[in-house]
Amino acid sequence: MNESLNQLTTAIKAGKRKDARAATAAALEAGLPPQSVLDALTEGMNDVGVRFKANTIFVPEVLVAARAMQKSMDLLEPVLIASGIEPEFSIVIGTVEGDLHDIGKNLVMMMLKGANFKVIDLGVNVSAEAFANAVAEHKPDLVALSALLTTTMPAMESIVCDLSRIEPPIKIIVGGAPITPDFADQIGADGYSADAASAVELAQKLCANAQ
Amino acid sequence: MQYAAEYIGSNYGTFASDYRTLVHANIACAEDFGFDQLSTISDPYRETQGFGAEIIYHENGVPECVRPPFADIDEVEELQAISLPDPEQAPRMQDRIDAVRLYKELTGDRYSIMGWVEGPAALAGDLRGLSDFLMDLIDEPEYSACLLDICADTAIRFARIQINSGADTIGIGDAICSQISPMVYNELIWPRQKRLMDSIKAIGGKTRLHICGQTEHLWPKLRELPIDLLDCDHMVDLPKARAALPPSVVLGGNLDPVNDLLYGTPSTVAAKLEKSMSEAGPNFVVNAGCEIPSGTPKANIKALCKPRLRKC
Ligand code: B12
Repeated sequence: MNESLNQLTTAIKAGKRKDARAATAAALEAGLPPQSVLDALTEGMNDVGVRFKANTIFVPEVLVAARAMQKSMDLLEPVLIASGIEPEFSIVIGTVEGDLHDIGKNLVMMMLKGANFKVIDLGVNVSAEAFANAVAEHKPDLVALSALLTTTMPAMESIVCDLSRIEPPIKIIVGGAPITPDFADQIGADGYSADAASAVELAQKLCANAQ
Repeated sequence: MQYAAEYIGSNYGTFASDYRTLVHANIACAEDFGFDQLSTISDPYRETQGFGAEIIYHENGVPECVRPPFADIDEVEELQAISLPDPEQAPRMQDRIDAVRLYKELTGDRYSIMGWVEGPAALAGDLRGLSDFLMDLIDEPEYSACLLDICADTAIRFARIQINSGADTIGIGDAICSQISPMVYNELIWPRQKRLMDSIKAIGGKTRLHICGQTEHLWPKLRELPIDLLDCDHMVDLPKARAALPPSVVLGGNLDPVNDLLYGTPSTVAAKLEKSMSEAGPNFVVNAGCEIPSGTPKANIKALCKPRLRKC
């Protein structure tokens, strides 16, 4: 692999934003294919996801890695678009109404971006109406809902219920510490995953099946 | 908190903004259910308001901090220029001191009175914005150390006045620590928690540490803190915690506030309790690993307190 691509993967893994930016700039200046830069970045984020899942790194390390990825993306995105490599899938994400926890949602969002999803982030405390409006406006392939409080699980249920009336049908995935696969089933969500790394696999699987 | 407020027909917003409601609600619950300790906790933003943040109260929700007051303070020099709030001038800190005084006036020595401070990491997250603070821990250690010192100093001041006003114990809420690696915790957070606890002990207070979630990865260093009571959330393995922590540390726990208390029955609560008590051995107090949710059946809380009453 090219030296600057190696450096990019290493910078993402270590959460070094300046190094990530410099390595991305070097790779692009050297005329490397933008897809290979994206792959190097994704490799770094995948490694971060795996180590987070295994408890060898914690939330702060993932946040700095995600920020480094964003710095690289800022340079890479226009080049990707110019060369016709646009994200294949898009996803609308938010924390449900009444809930202000957003660290988990942000990690899921960053991992999805790292896997080249277009992510539309609605933030926290998002109502069913705001989700429905975003679906109408952006026509995403998926909607992702996060909830960290048992008291906001009913809000998740009613959002899923409201969104299930939309035509054409939209796929919905759910997550957050108190959510279980059974609850996800019960409220009619299309998928659940326990952490950010598996959220990416889940999203990829659902989007691929829909094609 | 919300439970206690609703128990006397009030609401969370009033509970968090008026010490009289907090005191009356908690005394009513303590008397009816047989709790041993009266608490002053309501939400994380007492000290944050002392640093100038605007707080909005919601009738049935946790108070909201409009914007973290240190969101734009990026340099150590700027931090060093900040003066600490005076707990007797900052309205929400004063309100907590008033709660301690009113408890003492109304109940004398009948209950343990627990004052409360935000732990160094929790307060740093409240002041700076949580995600920014967590990232600073990794790439701005010098800034983080300075911010954590400000937070520990604030907690020391606030704890001292609460003890002088009648609190025998100071609860320290440092929830976010469960999400931090042992290395970062040991280097940046532990020394400030130690300084805070040492100063509480030096003036005769007892220390209670509350960290939400799994804390096992922190025990090797946590065990060196002068903790009197350590809350264990429901995911903590009690026998393991007992083996890892000094026998003098009282463990508190470890029912799941939601699955055991909100959705359980008196008999499932009793069974879970027997299990916790046998696993934890002596030096154990019963509590829900975290906050008891609004809507919990009264009979379940009675069941939570029952074995303890039998022993007294
Ligand atoms: C940080 C925190 C806060 C911060 C939040 C700051 C922020 N910007 O997010 C603050 C201080 C504001 C806060 C407030 C409160 N909190 Co809080 N908080 C926590 C804490 C310590 C960590 C949560 C966290 O960030 N975890 C780390 C992330 C990475 O994990 P995660 O969110 O689960 O996300 C992962 C997966 O679940 C999954 N995932 C997440 N979302 C999604 C979405 C999809 C689609 C998918 C597929 C996957 C997925 O992927 C993520 C990455 O792997 C937990 C306790 C703990 N230690 O877990 C309590 C906790 C969540 N809080 C709790 C409570 C009760 C509250 C308050 C009500 C407390 C109060 N009375 O003041 C308020 C509520 C405010 C509100 N209206 O939302 C309780 C919830 C109990 C319950 N089950 O209902 C907890 C569990 C503490 C406890 N033990 O009681 N809190």
